[in-house]
Amino acid sequence: MAYVALSEAEKTFILHGVEVISSVPLFNSLFKVSLFLQEDFRCDGRSRRDYRPMELETGLVSNASGSARLRLANTDILVGVKTEIDVPNPLTPEFGKIEFFVDCSANATPEFEGRGGSDLAQELILSLQNAYESPLAFDYRTLCLIPGQQCWKLYIDILILECGGNLHDAVSLAAKAALYNTKLPRVTATLLDAGITDLIISDNPYDCTRIGTDAVPLLVTVCKIGDYCLVDPTAEEEVCSTVSMVVSVSMRNETPFLSGTHMTGGGSMHRDTMLNCIQLGLSMGEQLNKLLVKMLKAEETRVGPKRPKTVGFLK
Amino acid sequence: MLRVTQTKNTLLDGATIASQLYTTPQDCEDFFENLEKPTTVVAAPRPTFIRVGVLTTVRGSAYMEYGNTKVMAIVAPPRELIRSSVRRVNMGVINCYVNFAAFASEDLEVVPEREKHLSSMLTKALQPLVCRNEFVNFQLDIRVLILDDDGCLLSTAINCCGVALVECGISTYDLITASTACIYRDHVFVNPSAKVEELLWQHRAGNALLGSSNKSEVEHQQKDEAVQQHGLLIIASMETFEQLAQCQQCGYLKPETYVQLLEYTLEINKSLRHLIKRVLTERVKEQHVLDVREKELERQEDQRLAAIIEKLQQQGLHEFIQSNIKEDPYTAK
Repeated sequence: MAYVALSEAEKTFILHGVEVISSVPLFNSLFKVSLFLQEDFRCDGRSRRDYRPMELETGLVSNASGSARLRLANTDILVGVKTEIDVPNPLTPEFGKIEFFVDCSANATPEFEGRGGSDLAQELILSLQNAYESPLAFDYRTLCLIPGQQCWKLYIDILILECGGNLHDAVSLAAKAALYNTKLPRVTATLLDAGITDLIISDNPYDCTRIGTDAVPLLVTVCKIGDYCLVDPTAEEEVCSTVSMVVSVSMRNETPFLSGTHMTGGGSMHRDTMLNCIQLGLSMGEQLNKLLVKMLKAEETRVGPKRPKTVGFLK
Repeated sequence: MLRVTQTKNTLLDGATIASQLYTTPQDCEDFFENLEKPTTVVAAPRPTFIRVGVLTTVRGSAYMEYGNTKVMAIVAPPRELIRSSVRRVNMGVINCYVNFAAFASEDLEVVPEREKHLSSMLTKALQPLVCRNEFVNFQLDIRVLILDDDGCLLSTAINCCGVALVECGISTYDLITASTACIYRDHVFVNPSAKVEELLWQHRAGNALLGSSNKSEVEHQQKDEAVQQHGLLIIASMETFEQLAQCQQCGYLKPETYVQLLEYTLEINKSLRHLIKRVLTERVKEQHVLDVREKELERQEDQRLAAIIEKLQQQGLHEFIQSNIKEDPYTAK
């Protein structure tokens, strides 16, 4: 992760913010309530279960089939989805393919220069792959063209423009938004002699199909600082944390499922803490997913399918 | 493994080689039907063999057999960091390298990817175990060689590395033990074999969704309602303070199932811990016997030298030299 230098005093400040400040007994009951709310007050004013403000735009990159840019406070992610026609794996004739690539831009931190970001990129790719692996988490059948012969292959290229902590969550959110935005051109097939099929891709750029993204998982990083677990850590908070847990949450029939978990950060935690983390991750994932889908739909209805002029940082 | 369809080519000398064709979803189905499914879950480790200090060339080495899975771990003493960028972190760095022996895996295509994945997971699992603050600006290289793969690879590698670390004399916070459990079509498999893991992998790639087609329609509908869970859980734990060093899960699980699998793996980890403890105490005893013997030999050598010196002092130097000069058989003539 990106390196942030923090002194012991700064670390203690963050730690105290996360932990509960002992409440002063007050006789006025109204006051006591307000004091109670003051507890669990992180250094940027959030509670332990709050995310930082997010900015999401989709469809910025004109050369990609789908794209999204997410800015989560200081974390900046750009995702582009490329499509290609490929031959499906003979073991799974009805399934399309998906491939992730993460590029840690040297703009994000000087450490990423050269091959510096490759470890982090590798970790992000592995956790995304793990989360998307189950056919229940991502419906690979929507990528099928002709079973056993032709399928779509999606290249999800993730570019990290700035590191401000909580990369896993930001990357997965942006990836889901980009997949939601992805439009596959309509393909019709004609059967030629000897069972060979010929694909005709529609010329009309607005004649396209969408990918089912209902169950696409989101990663939630639950970070343990002091005795408490919190979500969406900033880069500074990540330095203070001993261990964090990445929980991948996939929503299916309104119930959250785990599609992959692992621990990072080089620490260990108690069994009960871990179960708490998973609970927190699941509930946060559920909320995030609901909000993301709502916002994506709102953007779509507001901007419309034709998108006359894209306003974004790329233009 | 799962490749059931085999055609045989006859070689010139009459021997045959089996060439493997692709498996079809139906093959997986048949395979699962024939697989013996455990009716009750027994949370016990497989027959295990651990030998500490198998190599004399490195300081820490261990060999472990977990059922048919065979793994060797090598730990070299820490050495100074070369990359300056990681120096700023005031903790030692652990690098794990997992390699498959050329004969360990049938599917050579996915080997590099699996090696990468296993290496990164192993590093993550061992980080909380080692007292990394003791060797700041140093790196610890841990190499794992997989000789045979019959499932539970990562957990076996973690167990083996834990033992090798102790043998190497690297200070650790606790003993680490790890185990694997998985669920596939409502059957819980603890310590899944490579076959089950592959089946699960096939499932993840989609076959089992087609699966229940040969069952009755009613059952099929029920299946649709209740999402079919499948998944694999690897837990590495340190028992003294009931800490979990790593929990890796893949597949698609309900939180309740996750907890259930977690309990099984922790149970196995506990019994593995007893075994590893015993192996390590045996090793210490063995080493003690060796040390005593070495000391005895040293003492004898000292005695011999002392006797010579004694003699020397009595005889005087000149006489001693004369007595020790052997006549040259050629010049004597």
